Amino acid sequence: MSKLPPVIIDNGTGYTKMGFAGNTDPQFVIPTAIGLPNQSRYGIASKRGIEDLDFHIGDEAVANSKTYGLNYPIRHGQIENWDHMERYWEQSIFKYMRCEPEDHYFLLTEPPLNAPENREQMAEIFFESFNVQGLYIAVQAVLALAASWTAKNSQQTLTGTVIDSGDGVTHVIPVAEGYVLGSSIKHIPIAGRDITAFVQQLLRDHGETSIPPEDSLDIARRIKENYSYTSHDMAKEFLKYDADPVKYYKSFDATNSINQQTYTVDVGYERFLAPEVFFNPELVSSDFLTPLPEVVDNCIQTSPIDTRRGLYNNIVLSGGSTMFKDFGKRLQRDIKRIVDGRIKKSEELSGGRLQAKPIDVNVIAHKKQRHAVWFGGSIMACTDQFYQFSHTKAEYEEHGPSICRHNRVFESLA
Amino acid sequence: MILLEPHSFVLEETLLSRFTSEKPEVVDIKLVDFDNVIYHLQSSPEQRSLLTLSVEMTYFNEVLAYGAEEILAREYGDYMVPPTNSQHNISLQFDLEKLPEDKAALAKHVSLLKRNVLASPFLRAFEYWESQQEGAGPLMATHYRENEAIYVQAQQDRVTVIFSTLFKEEVDRVLGKVFLQEFVDARRLASIQNAPQVVYSSREAPLEIRHLPGLRQDESVGYVSFVLFPRHFADPEAREKTISQIQLFRDYLHYHIKCAKAYMHSRMRTRVKEFLKVINRAKPDRVTSMSEKRTATGRYFRPQFRQSGSPQQVEGEW
Repeated sequence: MSKLPPVIIDNGTGYTKMGFAGNTDPQFVIPTAIGLPNQSRYGIASKRGIEDLDFHIGDEAVANSKTYGLNYPIRHGQIENWDHMERYWEQSIFKYMRCEPEDHYFLLTEPPLNAPENREQMAEIFFESFNVQGLYIAVQAVLALAASWTAKNSQQTLTGTVIDSGDGVTHVIPVAEGYVLGSSIKHIPIAGRDITAFVQQLLRDHGETSIPPEDSLDIARRIKENYSYTSHDMAKEFLKYDADPVKYYKSFDATNSINQQTYTVDVGYERFLAPEVFFNPELVSSDFLTPLPEVVDNCIQTSPIDTRRGLYNNIVLSGGSTMFKDFGKRLQRDIKRIVDGRIKKSEELSGGRLQAKPIDVNVIAHKKQRHAVWFGGSIMACTDQFYQFSHTKAEYEEHGPSICRHNRVFESLA
Repeated sequence: MILLEPHSFVLEETLLSRFTSEKPEVVDIKLVDFDNVIYHLQSSPEQRSLLTLSVEMTYFNEVLAYGAEEILAREYGDYMVPPTNSQHNISLQFDLEKLPEDKAALAKHVSLLKRNVLASPFLRAFEYWESQQEGAGPLMATHYRENEAIYVQAQQDRVTVIFSTLFKEEVDRVLGKVFLQEFVDARRLASIQNAPQVVYSSREAPLEIRHLPGLRQDESVGYVSFVLFPRHFADPEAREKTISQIQLFRDYLHYHIKCAKAYMHSRMRTRVKEFLKVINRAKPDRVTSMSEKRTATGRYFRPQFRQSGSPQQVEGEW
C-alpha cells in the first residue's frame, strides 16, 4: 500500500486553502469563517448535549449567517481565537478533507514573525486533539519562494524577496537561505479588499446606475479580476482611452441576482487604475503614500548587505492581488529604475573613480501565483526531507510542544 | 455536524468542478477517504476529455467475495473500465463530452463509491435474512484498517455487526470507553427505543467472533456490537440508511472523541482566562500621583512608557 499523502492547510486571514500534497491546486478554498449559534446566556459551561457540534465553516457559514453568528478566528494572519480555530480544523479535516488525522502528516503555515507561543499552541491542538502522525509548520513566505521554482526564469534558491498580497494585507518579506529577515519586513495596508472597494467607487463615479447595490461589491470584484491590467504610464493610458474609447472600453454583462435581468456595465479607466493603486497609493489612501517598488527597495536596503544582490535578483509574487497582467514587468521596471538611479548617483559622487557592478533585478511571476503558499507546501511535502524535518508524535510526547520552536531545516547552521 | 456524511465531499467537489469546467484540462489529482481509500483522478494523455477515476482500497479483495462486483456493475456499470495499474482496484472512466444532463447528481453518485462498495457485506447479510434459512449465516469480516475490522453476521431473526477498533492513545481509549458507555445508556431513553442495541466490550471479544484466530486481546482494543432487527433493514429505504450510517461508525466514534477533546480544551481556556483575571486583580495598584492629571474630556492623562517622577527615572537621568 502506498503511503497516504500529507495534508496541507494554509489558513489565511480571508481564505483557507487546503488539500492533499502532490496536487497542483488546493482542493478547497473557503473563507476562514465559522458560523456559531448565538451564544447562550450561561456561556460555555451550560452545555448539556451536543451544542458544540452545531456550527458551520467556510461558505456554508456565510450562507447561514442569518441564523448563525459569523466569526473570523484569524486576524491579520494571526490566530486570535483558538477555540474557534480548533473547531474549524475539526470540521475541515473530517468533513471537507475527509481523512482520519491519525493516518496523515500535516503541513500548516504561519505568518512571518509569528510568536513561538502560537506555534506551540498549534502543535498542541494537532498532536493532542487530532493525534496527527507528524507536523511541520512552515513560514508562508518560504513556501511562496519554493512555489516559484516552477517558473521558467527561476533560480531555485531560498533567497529572495516575497511580495505576498492577499485579501487583507500586503507584506514584503526578505528571505535569506530560507531564513526570514524579520527586522526588514514591510507591511502595506493596501490589498485586494481595498482595490475592490476602489473599483466599486470608480463604477459609482461614472454613473453605472444599473448595478443593484447588493451586487455592487461582487461586480466590482469580478471586473477587477477579469479586466484589469498594469499600464506603463498612467497619464499616457488616460490619453489613449480618451482618443479611442471604442477600442479600450469594455462592456461587462452581468445578471441581477434577484430578478435575473441582464444588464451591461461599461468598464473604462478602472481597467488600469485598479493595479495602479500599488504604484500610486494616493489614489485610495491619504496616509500611506509610498509606492510598492519603493517599499520593496527600502525593504532590501535595510537587509544585511551580503544578501541584497540575491534579494534583488529573486523577487517573487504570491497571492491573488499580484495576478494583474504585466504586474511583474511594471514592478521590475520601477525597481530597476530606483536601483540604477542610486548606482548612477554614487558613481557621480565618487567622481567617476568607482565603477559599480550593475545589480540584476528580477521579478518572478508564475502560473501558481494565486495559491503560491499552498502550492509551495504541496511541493515541499512531496520531498523525502519533509518526513525528516517534520516533528513526529513520538517527539512531541517526549519533549512537549516546545519542539516546534526549533526548525530542523536550520540544523546544519546551528 | 453530528453525523458524518456518507459521501466524500472532496471527491464530489473535485469531480463536479471537472465536469462543469468549460475546456478539458490536464488533471492529476490524488484524494483520500477514510479507512485508507485513495482516489486518483487523471485525464488521459491522448485525449483530454477522458477522465479516469481509479480507486485503491486495501480491503477490496475481501468485499469482492461478498458481491461488491455486482453492486459496482449495478451502480457504475456504464463507466467501469478494467484498472490499468495493478495498485488500483476499481477504475471508472468518464467522457466529458458525453456526460448526462445532471452532472451534479453524477458527481454525488460517484462520491458514494466507497460507501457502496463497503455496503456489500451488509447487503449480503440482509439477503440471507430474507431467505429465511435456519441457523446463523457466514461471518463476514472486512479488515477496513490495519488491525481493525467489521464483522457482519446474519442470524435468523437479526443481523449482528461487530466493529473492532484500536485506540492509539491512552486518552482516546478512556474517552472512547466513556463515550461508548454513554451510547449504551442513552438507549434507555424512551425516545430512541427503536435504535439498534449496542454492546460495548473492551479487550474481551464478543462471543460471535471469539473463535477467530489472531484477535488482539489487550487494553487498546474495543469491540462494539450492534444488533440490527428487521425493522432496521426490512424496508429498502431504512436499509440504505442503516448501511450508510453504520459503516461510518468507526470514523464517527473517532471524530466525536476529537470533538470532545476540543470541547474540553475550550473549557480549559475559559477557566484559565478566569483565573488570570483573579490573579490580575491581586496586583497592587501603582502609585500614580503624577498621573492624576485629567484632560479636558475628563479622561486621565498618563504619559506613555515612562513614569515621570518615579525614583528609578530620576536616578537614570542623573
